[in-house]
Amino acid sequence: MADAQQVSLTIEGRTVSVPAGTSILEAAKVAGVLIPHYCYHPGLPVAGVCRMCLVEVEKAPKLAPACATAAAEGQVVHLYSDPALDARKAVLEFLLLNHPLDCPICDQAGECELQDYVYREGRAQGRSHEPKRFNPAEDFGGDVLYVTNRCILCTRCVRFMQDVANDPVLNVSERGDRAVIGKFEGKDLTHPWAANVIDLCPVGALVSKDFLNKSRAWELDRTPSVCPNCTQGCNTILETRDNVVVRMRPRTNTDVNHYYLCDEGRMDYRWMNRTDRIEAPLVRHGDRLVVSGWDDALRAAALHLNGKRAFVLASPMLSNESLWMLSRLAKRSGGGGGFRVRLGTEAPLAGVPDLVRRAERAANVRAAELFGFARSDTPLAGMKDGDVLIVADHEMAAADASAIAKASAVIVIGTTMPELVTNAIIALPSTNVAEEDGTFTNLRGRVQQYRQARSAPGMSRPVWWSVGDLLTFLGERAGYYLASEAFAALAAQHPEFAGMTYDSLGLKGQALAGAVAGVAGGASA
Amino acid sequence: MAIQVKVLERPIRQTSYVRAMLKGMAITFKHLANPHKVTWQYPEQKWDLSPRWRGTHRMLTDENGKSKCVACGLCPQICPANCIKLVPGEDEEGNRYPLVYEIDEFRCIFCGYCQEVCPEEAIHVGRHYENSEYSRAGFVYDLERLTAQTHPVCEMWDPADPRGE
Repeated sequence: MADAQQVSLTIEGRTVSVPAGTSILEAAKVAGVLIPHYCYHPGLPVAGVCRMCLVEVEKAPKLAPACATAAAEGQVVHLYSDPALDARKAVLEFLLLNHPLDCPICDQAGECELQDYVYREGRAQGRSHEPKRFNPAEDFGGDVLYVTNRCILCTRCVRFMQDVANDPVLNVSERGDRAVIGKFEGKDLTHPWAANVIDLCPVGALVSKDFLNKSRAWELDRTPSVCPNCTQGCNTILETRDNVVVRMRPRTNTDVNHYYLCDEGRMDYRWMNRTDRIEAPLVRHGDRLVVSGWDDALRAAALHLNGKRAFVLASPMLSNESLWMLSRLAKRSGGGGGFRVRLGTEAPLAGVPDLVRRAERAANVRAAELFGFARSDTPLAGMKDGDVLIVADHEMAAADASAIAKASAVIVIGTTMPELVTNAIIALPSTNVAEEDGTFTNLRGRVQQYRQARSAPGMSRPVWWSVGDLLTFLGERAGYYLASEAFAALAAQHPEFAGMTYDSLGLKGQALAGAVAGVAGGASA
Repeated sequence: MAIQVKVLERPIRQTSYVRAMLKGMAITFKHLANPHKVTWQYPEQKWDLSPRWRGTHRMLTDENGKSKCVACGLCPQICPANCIKLVPGEDEEGNRYPLVYEIDEFRCIFCGYCQEVCPEEAIHVGRHYENSEYSRAGFVYDLERLTAQTHPVCEMWDPADPRGE
């Protein structure tokens, strides 16, 4: 865009320069001014139906919709002049003719744009004496419930299904004041990305059945995270209430997932709240695993590992830091490692290039391969008789049982005790993605950071921490206090990660050196 | 060396208790006969509370006997003492209602904000002051207990005295 012609305009007294063709609304964002709007969304085609973004442009005959008017050289735009304020007040009054005042029972309350703007700029008292229109709520299929009365007909959902998902299920049925969002005959919102209409809806008309009545928006603690459920690495916000993850929503990153998150990823957060966890280091005494302290357990593990080959079965759901530390543990003894990936169906989002729910249902397959773990359906095939097997939060299959028996000892590092492992000598509790800071590398080689959203149960520690301490017991310097320190050490040793730090990654991530330039998260400009 | 204590010799009319006792008994008998009493014969005789009295809570119910609360979450939000615990849920008809609604009356400071903020006029502070319990846990009123209360509720403002003068 560097060679595109620039135009400069003044919005609310602030002069900005934007490429020609940018809408006034987008130009205002650059200037740090939010023009109230409902139907406009940066990921969707412009519709211009809500009339909320009307602004006064000097020397123009009438108010202009900011979303559909291109910025032009020398424009002077007023957002808070009397005509613009009056127009918005009138639009809000029209919207409230039929929008019920049921904020106390509406899930959107607290994150509702209608509520915000009416509170800020609307009328204190309604003037309508007519009864409000009433239609029953309708189940749209998938996770989506349509509460007809609350709809303000911005058509964001219609445009998403039509132009982004390329699966036109929704339409505007009826006309005039009877207009509602309807489904085409015999169709349901079963598209694998359909639940995005819930986030797109500016009011509480499209609500999640899963989240319905679970919590109020203002009670949630929000943490930037990365969806761990496939290799795409969509940026997310984990929302917790009283230390329980209750919702996962997309976080905008135009290099990876734009504004979207697939339904399966969005729903797959419950395992983060599992309560059947290993909460303390366990050491085998006779036929029982006995609770122990960290030092005792690590010392015992170091005794078992001393002089033996270690074979690491590493979960591809672990962070870069953890996988790197596990690979060091395997390499120092001349051992190896492997992992298995759970596969599902692929589901692309047609309107966004390179945004697909990937078949590999694990976040960090790329890094696991990078650190020398062999991907295989029989990951234990590489293990030799007499190796010490380290199971690092890896899912076990029935086929592994015979291979486990070959190991001289089994050490479990994990969130839960794998059912098939009955003879573990030591079990070390670890944290899951919601309970630690860390980084994932997505399939295009983009390294992205996630943050701790809830407190870790009991004495559990991130894998990189416990394995680092274990390496220290084995005589290697590997004790780190912070995930960022572990990552800095990793970046110093691996040229692909050269120059990366938690600060440079920020919340949008960075591509690995030499990663194939791809639209979804690869080397971006 | 013994300490020298100065003993004052006083006349008998100053040191005798008879006069003082008679004076005291006179007051006692005067009050026995006096109709102008200030002592309340509690618990037989109860105090007439102000309509704006803010005491222990009561949850009002609809005509079916169900609590009017829709679990909007405003009262736990506004509560300065953080004494309201609310977990929202859905009933059989799909209506929003509180799965858990508990008020810790021990922690409550009886400011009445919960009643003021309630959009459904469900939770009220009551005109009630007899709250003794045998245990601390007894002061955590659950939804069942709050709806079972029958005492009159606070009128946040007195219609006869709208300016609160």
